[in-house]
Amino acid sequence: MSPPELSAELVTLLPRLRRFARALARNPHDADDLVQVALERALARAHQLRPDAALAPWVFGILRHAWIDELRARARSERVFAPEESGQSVGDAGHDGQAELLSVRDAMARLPQEQRIAVALVLVEGLSYKEAAHVMNVPIGTLTSRLARGREALQTMLGES
Amino acid sequence: MIFSDETVMAFVDGELDDATRAALEVAMVTDLRLAERVARERRLRARLQSEFDPVLREPISERLLAAAQGTSAKARSGNIIWLRRIPARHWSWPQWSAVAASLVLGVLIAPLLQHEPTEGPLGIRDGKVLASGALAHALSQQLASNQVADAPVHVGVSFLSRTGDYCRTFTLRGKRAVAGLACREGESWRLEALKATDRATSASGEYQPAASALPPAIAQSVDEIIVGDPLDAEAEAAARGKGWHR
Repeated sequence: MSPPELSAELVTLLPRLRRFARALARNPHDADDLVQVALERALARAHQLRPDAALAPWVFGILRHAWIDELRARARSERVFAPEESGQSVGDAGHDGQAELLSVRDAMARLPQEQRIAVALVLVEGLSYKEAAHVMNVPIGTLTSRLARGREALQTMLGES
Repeated sequence: MIFSDETVMAFVDGELDDATRAALEVAMVTDLRLAERVARERRLRARLQSEFDPVLREPISERLLAAAQGTSAKARSGNIIWLRRIPARHWSWPQWSAVAASLVLGVLIAPLLQHEPTEGPLGIRDGKVLASGALAHALSQQLASNQVADAPVHVGVSFLSRTGDYCRTFTLRGKRAVAGLACREGESWRLEALKATDRATSASGEYQPAASALPPAIAQSVDEIIVGDPLDAEAEAAARGKGWHR
């Protein structure tokens, strides 16, 4: 795909890329920064896109990598960030039966990264299991198990029995 | 027939083969518990969608549109910051900080920026980055043909831009010298570009002003918007006399 063609496709894809990023990063500005990094990387790697490959999963995969890079960079620089962003406090809610119910965004932010990515790809972006597994570079069984655990954790945090 | 949780989820996700899907649909009619398990998964999907789908209808910033077309500030011009390419209308200080931090010069620029354009060389007003303080004063008053060597601001060339505004290049003294380009807007000076200079303030704190110290990136910015030749000393003085309005 030539760079101008790719650019046109990327512009079309922008709303979905922003939605996907927003499901990963709690802060909307972080999410847009993530989209920008993904766009720049996609254009730089235009030659890697096979002509018959679907564009959206390819760019989602680049965005996912950029997000993981960002999280690693944060950890390296020991920058203090909200614990919910790290996904470490999953399961806190509901243990004593009295935990306050969370908003959908807060609940998403508390999911472990790989579960959050699986939920974002399938439930928010509507990718098929096959596409989502490809984006995450895992077998379909791994994808569905992350998806199932992410769903259960969300249901608990959102107060669904 | 017993349906596992994974099967129920796959049903909601549209991932079941036809036979299993049909079997589950039939079972749901009589198995209320199964029907509720399906409804629970559908509610979660609906909640996620009502949370994130509105993002699809939000306006998209020029920054992202530029990035999609490979013309973002970073991609275009290395580490120069093209301030006017940053969509400014709705931007507040934290947003600007986020952008600045994502750019190479963020660390350098951020300390120069102030919340109010009353202190420091740069300020943000109405979403625009404007010269303030000593820089604004120097841009309005200082003549390149007549300036003292140790002034905090060194003014470079002045010229008319394609939009008919007077623009001036400058260099700021500091721990690291910063060169920039500003254009007249009303009674203010709007920053067009900023860049750290490679040389400038030496270890002894001695500033080395020189006409040749203008970084190539700033010179290139000038080339992109200049009409005709830079003002000579006489035209510069005349422009100042008219408050930098034509």
